[in-house]
Amino acid sequence: MQTTAVYDSLHPLEINLLAAFSQSADQPVSDSSLQELSQLEPSQVSMALGWLQAKKLVSIYSEVVTAWVGLTEVGHRYLTDGSPPEWIIRTCKQGAEEGRSFTVKDLQGLNTFPPTDLSRAFGLLKKEGAIALVAGGRIEPTDTPSPTVEKLRVLLHELKKSRQELLSFSPDQQALLRQYAVKRGSAQEPFRIEERIQREYTPTKTGKAVAKRCHAGSVEEVSQLTPDMLKDGSWRNKRFRKYTITLRPPRVAPGRRHPYREFLDLVKHKLVGMGFQEMRGPLVETEFWDMDALYMPQFHPARAIHDVYFVKTPTHAKAVTEPFLSQVAATHETGGSTGSSGWGYRYDKERARRLVLRSQGTAVSARTLASNPLIPGKYFSMARCFRYDQVDATHATDFFQIEGIVLGEEINFRTLLGLLTIFAKEMAQAQESKFFPAYFPFTEPSVELHVRHPKLGWMELGGAGLFRPEVTQPLGVTVPVIAWGLGLDRMAMVALGIHDIRELFSVDLEKVRTLRGRFA
Amino acid sequence: MPTISFFQKDFEDLLGRTVPPDQLESWLPLVKGELKDVTQATGEIRVELQDSNRPDLWSVEGIARQIRIKLQESPPAYPFLNTKTKPKQRILVAEGLEQVRPYVAACTATGYTVTEESLAQLIQVQEKLADLYGHKRKTVSVGLYRLPRIHFPVTYGLVKPTEARFTPLGLSEKLTLQEILTVHPKGIEYGSILADQPLLPLLWDTEGQILSFPPIINSQDIGQVHAGDSDLLVEVTGTDMRMVLLTLNIFATNLADRGAVIEPIEVQYPYDTGLGKSIRTPCDMGAVQKIPLKAIESALGLPIDAELVQQTLRAYGYEVKASRHTLAVRLPHYRSDLMHPVDVAEDVAISRGYDSFVPVMPAQFTVGSLSALEMMSDYIREHMVGQGFQEIFSNILLSHEELVERMRLPEDEQVVEVDNVMSQSFTCLRSWIVPSLLRVETASPRAFYPHRLFEIGEVAIPDSSQELGSRTAVRLAIVIAHPHANFSEVHTCLDVLMFYLVKDYELEPLTHGSFLDGRAGTILSQGQPVGLIGELHPEVLEHWGISVPITVFELDIDWLCAESS
Repeated sequence: MQTTAVYDSLHPLEINLLAAFSQSADQPVSDSSLQELSQLEPSQVSMALGWLQAKKLVSIYSEVVTAWVGLTEVGHRYLTDGSPPEWIIRTCKQGAEEGRSFTVKDLQGLNTFPPTDLSRAFGLLKKEGAIALVAGGRIEPTDTPSPTVEKLRVLLHELKKSRQELLSFSPDQQALLRQYAVKRGSAQEPFRIEERIQREYTPTKTGKAVAKRCHAGSVEEVSQLTPDMLKDGSWRNKRFRKYTITLRPPRVAPGRRHPYREFLDLVKHKLVGMGFQEMRGPLVETEFWDMDALYMPQFHPARAIHDVYFVKTPTHAKAVTEPFLSQVAATHETGGSTGSSGWGYRYDKERARRLVLRSQGTAVSARTLASNPLIPGKYFSMARCFRYDQVDATHATDFFQIEGIVLGEEINFRTLLGLLTIFAKEMAQAQESKFFPAYFPFTEPSVELHVRHPKLGWMELGGAGLFRPEVTQPLGVTVPVIAWGLGLDRMAMVALGIHDIRELFSVDLEKVRTLRGRFA
Repeated sequence: MPTISFFQKDFEDLLGRTVPPDQLESWLPLVKGELKDVTQATGEIRVELQDSNRPDLWSVEGIARQIRIKLQESPPAYPFLNTKTKPKQRILVAEGLEQVRPYVAACTATGYTVTEESLAQLIQVQEKLADLYGHKRKTVSVGLYRLPRIHFPVTYGLVKPTEARFTPLGLSEKLTLQEILTVHPKGIEYGSILADQPLLPLLWDTEGQILSFPPIINSQDIGQVHAGDSDLLVEVTGTDMRMVLLTLNIFATNLADRGAVIEPIEVQYPYDTGLGKSIRTPCDMGAVQKIPLKAIESALGLPIDAELVQQTLRAYGYEVKASRHTLAVRLPHYRSDLMHPVDVAEDVAISRGYDSFVPVMPAQFTVGSLSALEMMSDYIREHMVGQGFQEIFSNILLSHEELVERMRLPEDEQVVEVDNVMSQSFTCLRSWIVPSLLRVETASPRAFYPHRLFEIGEVAIPDSSQELGSRTAVRLAIVIAHPHANFSEVHTCLDVLMFYLVKDYELEPLTHGSFLDGRAGTILSQGQPVGLIGELHPEVLEHWGISVPITVFELDIDWLCAESS
């Protein structure tokens, strides 16, 4: 390989290190010497050595394993308290002066050393004749000194300051050190012996060639090109650090639309594309627009206190616009002029003014019907709705309903099915759809739309129907009207990889920042 | 709407044929039913019925009947509706019940031995009808009795709460009506229906045996039906004559479908019921209605031959006489849901099958568009994204504490509150958006900073000048949170937004509980307040458990559209 190409690929640390080899006239150099010569940190040296070996510019010349010995925490404690045999002799002698004597059990009861250490010490002292056991198992120190106690004391003091090479001790001492060194399974020893590998390195043939070009600090290495360098042309004498471009960049949080709202934007634009005009309505509604106008009788089971949120103050709207109130009232009671028999109960106009949090998007459609809508006309709304439900994985406190109406002379059951077929294609990319009879209080006939989603399989996409004349006529509309609603949240959740509807409105910023998905 | 459970074998017996796998599901559109699950091992099937106006379908008998009629293409005859024979038994209604629970209907069913399975079905229908159709027994409740123990005529009368004693179902000792209302689980559950009544309804026979205390509880000895019983009395009481009669009709028809002989009972009232003082029950209330064929044709969107409509409706249980332009239709006695010709049109479609209709694409031209408010919102959203803000999308029911107390607003600050609170966390509609964004801040101290958040959305502003007592407004709010967040930074964000909205504005110093004094302002456009801006008060941050400084602004969107449109 061209030495120039190799040289260009070098990291400054590598250049520094190769320069250090040059200084030692290509002789084998130990890692500690390299550290001195290059003035680099030990971690930098070992990192650069690793790279250079991988590039086959440097190889290991020799490897020497040396054993070093040092004190453990236990060793430091022996220094102050004495080793277990030393402590036994001292304790028993002190006891004898005070006229007391101890059994093995007594000493173990003092809990100064672990029982295993004590029994090893007893064994040793007895063997060396430093203690004798008399009647009753009492321990009596003799006048014979224990050589081991002395040797341990010397070694502990030797190693007090720093670790030392094991070989610097006499063979006798080495044996003792090994005996009292930490081994697997016994952490309670005073000494620890560690093996250190010292290596010497030498440049390879290529390494030597490249090293010739390496002089520490020969070219100034910079990381950032600056306007000044461009102005005075000094960039020509600089070496620009080469980056490891395979690393991941730092994270940023960009400005971004909310992913669920992004989904709703897509739906909204599709609807506009299909000729639908957006309609809006208030969050706080009267029962009249929320339910009565939709021909839900006031005794309907879904209108109870456990289904709808009622407003605390004011409890009632000032009025409900006439002639709609009277016409709807008459329709509920007798059918009015709609040709219906009506529900046949006494309509409560007071209750019609009761304020609720909008419970269905159809309320917006009802208001549109009463506001001289275009005929033919298509309308949609994305209405925030509220249901009196316990919050859980499938129920949020409030949610969006995507609903709308289509008005026109051409509207009938078959054009309804036609519209739903378009929805199946546009909203769910479904080539197949099925229609099932359904029930809604305000439509007849009513349809449930099931589609075969390319990824999710058969799913319910929405409900629709023709508004009952009891809904349209009291609000002044005489042409047939389709009412439709789409349930798209499941598609959004699958696209975003979430399983809990509450996460569509997550308060966890990290979650919001990382939620992503392709909707189309 | 109700989900009911039944067994494959029972269903097949009622249908009169075996049902291959998957066949049931293909029939369910006839009853607006959705198959919930099938347990292969036991043959148990669960179906949800959608139509709240068709209580006749809330039973295996009703489902089987509707399908059977379709398969046989014509409805069966029910001899018990024949009014020529005089009923053998009577129920006498006493004075005063018109103020309490005015109506009763009953019949006997003999010659069919109840099995464990059919008893479970009877009880299921009884419960679904009383609960959902009868508004938790308020409007309608049903009782079943062992007929041989009863000596006619039966009296439906009123007694004082302490006057009568009997052993109610589920207990072994006699209790007064008063005690039943306070002690018996059903008394506790349904007692409110009879609240404040000095006299209580009771059914007893000519020997003084008590049948039941409607709508609360039956007696233990006469009012408990067992498997093996073959002679029953069915009784319905309630506050709506037509609903009471319909409920009895459904019960009688279900039992007749199982092979029982139904004998009508004559109920004699001391007061007028709208249908006379003496009523034979069950009773066919159905009236013939004339419907122009055109009404069906225009609803369904295709020309239909009168003969064909007649066949289609007969195969759905109707009695029909078709002439060239008119249909004379009559619903079966167990239905009363025909309010308008469109109801007949739907039944034609269901009977034919929705799949048999060829969809037609709506062809009339319409122009699609977004509202000015939505377009303005989208313009601003795009702008805020360009400024590097993350959009937030929040639930808008919050707690009063979050909206007011934590924001250091006066306690009497007006917000739209919910009357029937479900959870203390969701009691108010938000009146501004900043608290929504602070919920995110509280939950996200570990998301790396800076946090630059915005939300455009609806708020509800209490406003007594409005018809609804409040108005729904659209607002933009932004929150900047990081260790060096300051007023100048948020001011810049507002300034650049206003520049691109081509709006002049100025800030007027504002004293506001949520903000540090001297670091808050009202945003004025042509002298009109359109928003506010400032650095949040450290106490607000403490209340929310937030430990970085936060600056915000909140801007009305509505006025931008009002002027530009």
